Amino acid sequence: MIATPPPPARLMTPSERRGWLLSTWRYVVPALTSVALLVLMLAPLPLAVPAVPHLALMGVLVWAMLQPALMPPWLAFCIGALTDLLFGQPLGVNATLFAVATGTMRLSGRAFGRHGSGFDWLLVAGILFGFMVLTGPLMALAGRPTPVLPLLWQWLTSVMAWPLVVRVCAAIQRRLAATAPLWRHG
Amino acid sequence: MDWTPVPRRPTAIRREQNLALVSAVISGGVIAAGLILLLVARVNPETADGVRAAATDIVAPTWSIVRAPIDGAAKLGGAIADYFGAVSRADHLSAELDKANAGLRAARKGQRELLQLKRLMAVREPSRTVVTTTRIAAATAGSVARTAMLAVGDSDGITRDMPVIAADGLVGRTLEVGRFSARVLLITDPLSRVPVVVERTGQAGLASGRNLPTLLLADRIGPDVTLLVGDRIVTSGDGGVYPPGVPVGIVVDPRSDGAIIRPAASPLGGGFVTVERGWLPIPDNQPKGPVFDAPVPVEARTRGAPAPRVRSNTAPVN
Repeated sequence: MIATPPPPARLMTPSERRGWLLSTWRYVVPALTSVALLVLMLAPLPLAVPAVPHLALMGVLVWAMLQPALMPPWLAFCIGALTDLLFGQPLGVNATLFAVATGTMRLSGRAFGRHGSGFDWLLVAGILFGFMVLTGPLMALAGRPTPVLPLLWQWLTSVMAWPLVVRVCAAIQRRLAATAPLWRHG
Repeated sequence: MDWTPVPRRPTAIRREQNLALVSAVISGGVIAAGLILLLVARVNPETADGVRAAATDIVAPTWSIVRAPIDGAAKLGGAIADYFGAVSRADHLSAELDKANAGLRAARKGQRELLQLKRLMAVREPSRTVVTTTRIAAATAGSVARTAMLAVGDSDGITRDMPVIAADGLVGRTLEVGRFSARVLLITDPLSRVPVVVERTGQAGLASGRNLPTLLLADRIGPDVTLLVGDRIVTSGDGGVYPPGVPVGIVVDPRSDGAIIRPAASPLGGGFVTVERGWLPIPDNQPKGPVFDAPVPVEARTRGAPAPRVRSNTAPVN
C-alpha cells in the first residue's frame, strides 16, 4: 500500500493525527502522476499526425490496475475532463471514455484475478483500441465529426509505450510504499 | 489485482457488497454525466470556454519555460553545425542570390507600373499588422483536435480569429484566447477551412484539414482546369481572416475530386510564428435591439433595457 490505513480517528494520538494529515498527499499521487503525464503529452513536437502515445489514459489505466481504490472512475472522469480542456476537444469526450476505461479495467481485474503482465498488455491494447473507435461517435455526438483513422498511429505508439509507463508508475508506487508511515495500533 | 484480504464476517461482507453497489452507481452516474456534457457541448459549443482558457493559461507558459533550455541546446547544436560545409553553402547561396537579383531586375518595371496604376485608380488596401511574434509553446499532437498553444494572450493584444503565420507559410488562426495563452487551430485540423487561390490559374477554393499531414483542396470555383503537381496554393484573403498571398502549400496529387496539398509550413516547426491582426475587421455582430417608433416605457429603461433605436436615427438600409 502506498498509504497504510491509519488507526481509528478517535484513537489517534496527536502526533499520529499530525503524521496522518501530513501523509494524505499520498492519496493524490496517482491522480497527480496522470496529470503530469497529460502535460507531458502537450510537448510541442513537430508531428503531422496524432502519434503521441496517450500517456494520460495509460497513466489512468496503470493506476486503475495497481491501486484501484485510488483511481475510481469519477477521478478518471475528472482527469478526462481536464484532458478535454487542454486538448481543445468538446468537454466530455475524454471524460466519458476515461471513466469507461477505468470501469472496464476494474471489471476485468475482478473477472480475471491475478495474471501476468503480458495479459495486461493485451487487455490495455484492447481498451486503447476501444478508446480510439469510440472517440469518433462521441465527437460526432458533440457536433464535431472527425476522421479517427489517424488515431491508429496513436494506438500503435501507445501500445509500444505501455511497458514504459507501467515501469514508471510501478517505480513510483514502490518508492511510496517504502516510505509509507507505520502506525502503532492500540 | 486488489490484494486486500477477503472479509470473513457477514457484516463486513454486506458492507463490501453495499460499497460495490454504491461505486457502481457512481460510475454509471459519472458516465451519464459525461454524455450529458457532450450534448451540452453540441447545443452550445462555447460552454467551457472560460475554464478551457484558464487551463491553457497554466500549461502554455509552463511549456514555454520548459522548452527554453531545449531550444537553447538546439541553437548551440545548430551553431556548431554551421561550421561544417560553410564554404559550399556560401557558394550555393551566392549563386542563388545572383539568380534572385536577375528576377528582381526583371520584376522592377512591372512593380513600378503596378504602383502607378494603383495610384491612378486610388486603390485603398488594408495592410498587414503584426501583433506579436512568438514560439509555439505546446501542441496537442496526441489528440484528434489539431491545435497548438501560444504563451501570449489577451494581455498581448491577441483576440479571436487572428492569422498565425510562420516563415514558410500559414500555420492557422487563433481560436480561444486566455489571459496569457492562446489556442491556435492548425490548418490540418478537420475544423479548419482556409480560402485559397491556385497561384497559376487564379482559381479559388477551400483548403480543408482532415487530421492528416496533407490538406484537401475542396470546393474549387470556376472551370475545371487541371492542376499540376507543384502548383502553389496561397491564401486568397476572402473571409477576412487570412491576408492574401500567404503560402499554404503545394499540390502533390492533382486529382479532380479534390487535390491533395502539402502544407508549406511544418505544422509545429521549431521556428517563430507571427500573430497578425485579422485582414479585414470582423463585422459587428452584437444584437442591436429592435427598431422602435413607439415610446419605450420608463420601467423598461430603468431595468437596464438597451437604449431604443428610433427609426429616424438609424441609417437607411441600402
